[in-house]
Amino acid sequence: MELFKTPHIRFLKYKYLALVVTGIIVLAGILNVTIGKGLKLGVDFGEGTLVRVVFKEAISVTQVRDMLKAVGLGNSVIQETGRKGREFQIRTMEVVRTGAQEQEIEAHEQLGNRVIEALRGRGGQAETATATPDLNTVDQKTLTALLEPAFSGKGEEIAQNIVSYRNQNGIIGDFSELQAAGINPDATNFLKANTYLGKLTVLSRETVGPQVGKDLRRKATQATIWALIGMLVYIAVRFKLAYGVSAIFTLTQDVLITMSIYTFTNREINLPTIAAILTIVGYSINDTIVIFDRVRELTKTLRKEPLETIMNAAINQTLSRTIITSGTVFLTVLALFLFGGEVINDFAFIMLIGTIEGVYSTIYLSCPVVLFWQKIFKTKTGFKK
Amino acid sequence: MKKELRWKILLVVGLIALAIFLAYPPSKKIKRGLDLKGGIHLVLQVISEDAINVETDLEIARFQELFRKNNITFQTAVKEKPGRFTLQGVNPDQEGKTRDLVDQYARDWDYAFVSDRVTFSLKQPAVLALKDQAVNQTLETIRNRIDEFGVAEPLIQRQGNERIVVELPGVEDPDRVKNLIKVTAILEWKLVRGGPAADEAALLQSSGGKAPEDMEVVKGDPKRGQGGLYLVDKIASITGKDLRSVRRSVDEWNNPAVSFTLNSDGARRFEKVTSENIGKPLAIILDGKIQSAPTINGRISESGIIQGRFTLQEAEDLVVILKAGALPAGIKYLEERTVGPALGSDSIRQGLMAGLVAIVAVMSFMVFYYKLSGLNAVAALILNVILLFGALGYFHATLTLPGIAGIILGLGMAVDANVLVFERIKEEQAAGKGILSSISLGFSRAFSAIFDSNLTTIISAVFLFQFGTGPIKGYAVTLIISLLANLFTAVFVSHLIFDVAIKKTTKRLSI
Repeated sequence: MELFKTPHIRFLKYKYLALVVTGIIVLAGILNVTIGKGLKLGVDFGEGTLVRVVFKEAISVTQVRDMLKAVGLGNSVIQETGRKGREFQIRTMEVVRTGAQEQEIEAHEQLGNRVIEALRGRGGQAETATATPDLNTVDQKTLTALLEPAFSGKGEEIAQNIVSYRNQNGIIGDFSELQAAGINPDATNFLKANTYLGKLTVLSRETVGPQVGKDLRRKATQATIWALIGMLVYIAVRFKLAYGVSAIFTLTQDVLITMSIYTFTNREINLPTIAAILTIVGYSINDTIVIFDRVRELTKTLRKEPLETIMNAAINQTLSRTIITSGTVFLTVLALFLFGGEVINDFAFIMLIGTIEGVYSTIYLSCPVVLFWQKIFKTKTGFKK
Repeated sequence: MKKELRWKILLVVGLIALAIFLAYPPSKKIKRGLDLKGGIHLVLQVISEDAINVETDLEIARFQELFRKNNITFQTAVKEKPGRFTLQGVNPDQEGKTRDLVDQYARDWDYAFVSDRVTFSLKQPAVLALKDQAVNQTLETIRNRIDEFGVAEPLIQRQGNERIVVELPGVEDPDRVKNLIKVTAILEWKLVRGGPAADEAALLQSSGGKAPEDMEVVKGDPKRGQGGLYLVDKIASITGKDLRSVRRSVDEWNNPAVSFTLNSDGARRFEKVTSENIGKPLAIILDGKIQSAPTINGRISESGIIQGRFTLQEAEDLVVILKAGALPAGIKYLEERTVGPALGSDSIRQGLMAGLVAIVAVMSFMVFYYKLSGLNAVAALILNVILLFGALGYFHATLTLPGIAGIILGLGMAVDANVLVFERIKEEQAAGKGILSSISLGFSRAFSAIFDSNLTTIISAVFLFQFGTGPIKGYAVTLIISLLANLFTAVFVSHLIFDVAIKKTTKRLSI
């Protein structure tokens, strides 16, 4: 089966146009970062506290915001993240700058507590006063200790069932759900009398101090620079310096374009974002090298032809491969985007942009840059033999 | 079948068996990161300056003692900062004698005479050694506490000079554990000389507005129902170091409490204090806050009880920290992440779901597009995954979400390698080559592209591993392994499958 016969498209005719298009997107991104919305650094880079909670009952973002407003945290970023309006992600924006780092993280910690307390509201205060445990937060050991006197020998099993049901569903909405968890009516009635169902559970919370955030930024930058140098050297050795420079240029613009588009969405930059960008770079360099490899091969057979013709031929001959590979990767990433869940969603989103953009950049940028290099430095960029 | 072919098949089968052995069962052999499993990740900084401070105080006391014994007179000792103090008013006539003494007893300290002052400063190697020791001791203490509390597979390790990383998978109550780690846990018993009073003025009224030289003001712990301020002795009657054993028990009203026994030295001192102060209150102070101040009813020597309106859990936790001992220096949190078990299992479920959908989609496409040869690619892909997990099991690597991203890139490149080869085979066939030579040329000519692209990515991943932090490292590890496996499966194994399946008599290549 074949997608198409090897085409003869003169891709490089549009090399200047491509440069302009790239320039415009990158410029738009830079403008957006500097005078527009700016880069949204996530919790991973030391900016605040992130709390993920799931409620017993569906609730609207406005309601959540109102509850937070009441304690002066109305400017938090609130995001509904699933389970039909019951799961939310809240990031406090009040950046605490007291100077001492210990106080800062402690203050963030307290912000996190304030968020949780505000969302809980008055629910559960009466029960806490009488030391009635919240079935939605109680740990297995305590639950076992509570059950064991009434259900001798079975306490552990019941507690385990409840906790695993709770872990699967995030929260127990109503005592009637316990039947589905395999709890008999006796135990359910006992729990009804001796525990209560809290309004929410905390799925996760993250606080990164400014020092660690700074370290992470520094190390990520350092790692990237070394990785780029490594690739440049390898490609320069296996191909030519011009090709190494072009590969680095191409993938730099991959990162810039992807980030430019990313800044226009309301997503934050966290560590998974970095992983996604590295992955895009990986695919892009792969694509670029496949085309360079074909150029290297064709220069041996088409020695008389100008480099631009050879490059056009190389791009055309590898086109079906470029499309098939990018297509399958796109398929994979689409699956992650649709089914991968909230945690992986930002990652998948970047990959979606990146795979499409990567095809464009390998075709329209990697080869032209080699040609520009040749024009500027008057070097011979073809291969001998 | 050719002999060479047989050896190759044996090699591949052997590797598969080894990989399965290393990775099976995956739930046990492949460690999941906290983002997939739930748990706590903490980065702590040890305030190692504290250790220098303590050492300086000890050294000042030691020198005062030493000078007194050797009849060298001086007026005051002033601590300028941790690691530096000055003895003022030393008799200049005794400089020689002082020098001898210092040379003999204070090898870790530099000293300088300026007229009647001797300024001591701790030598840099000693500073570093002390700090190092403080970090190690802190780490040990935290480890003891966590072991005592009981967490499966905790990871507690030093990171750099002063940082400690604590990872506790599957902990259900993160706040409790965090408090458990953080308390310094210096426990002291001190005689109460005044109070409780609402404020300092009321407390110090009888002593003229200032605490006497040998006493200090200590706050009650409101959590323990101890409001107000107390005036207590500066010197503790006994401390946590005198404890031999502790266990959770109940007091006479059946409230949770902690009972303790003392070692012989502590028991002797405790007996003396209690017998001499019957009827007076004795404060139990934890990290500078009074937990309770019971009245001494009679002589106590070996064992006693700590009350403080504890909940059951608080009493249990106090036992844990007292058993593990006090921290030699303060700590502060630099980073804390807690992932609940629900979110972890969500991530796993969704990740698996997405992964399965993606793999099935890619494999179906390969079979649809490349027919039987597509099956070859599918086999290579499956083998790649098996080898990857085998390697992860062997290296005891931890699988995290960024790690899964690395696997996705690796698998994408594995598919790409097959696509490169197959497209090349098609090209060669179109150029009129026979089936066997098309296959052989397809592999050899596509090889340089596969090799260069994989190696470039491996090189960048190695740098990411070298310079990156936790999550980036996890990404780099799975990527490197996956690409190495890829060079083997997509080139060697895939070629081998063609060699076995395609005979000289084969008329048409299904591609």
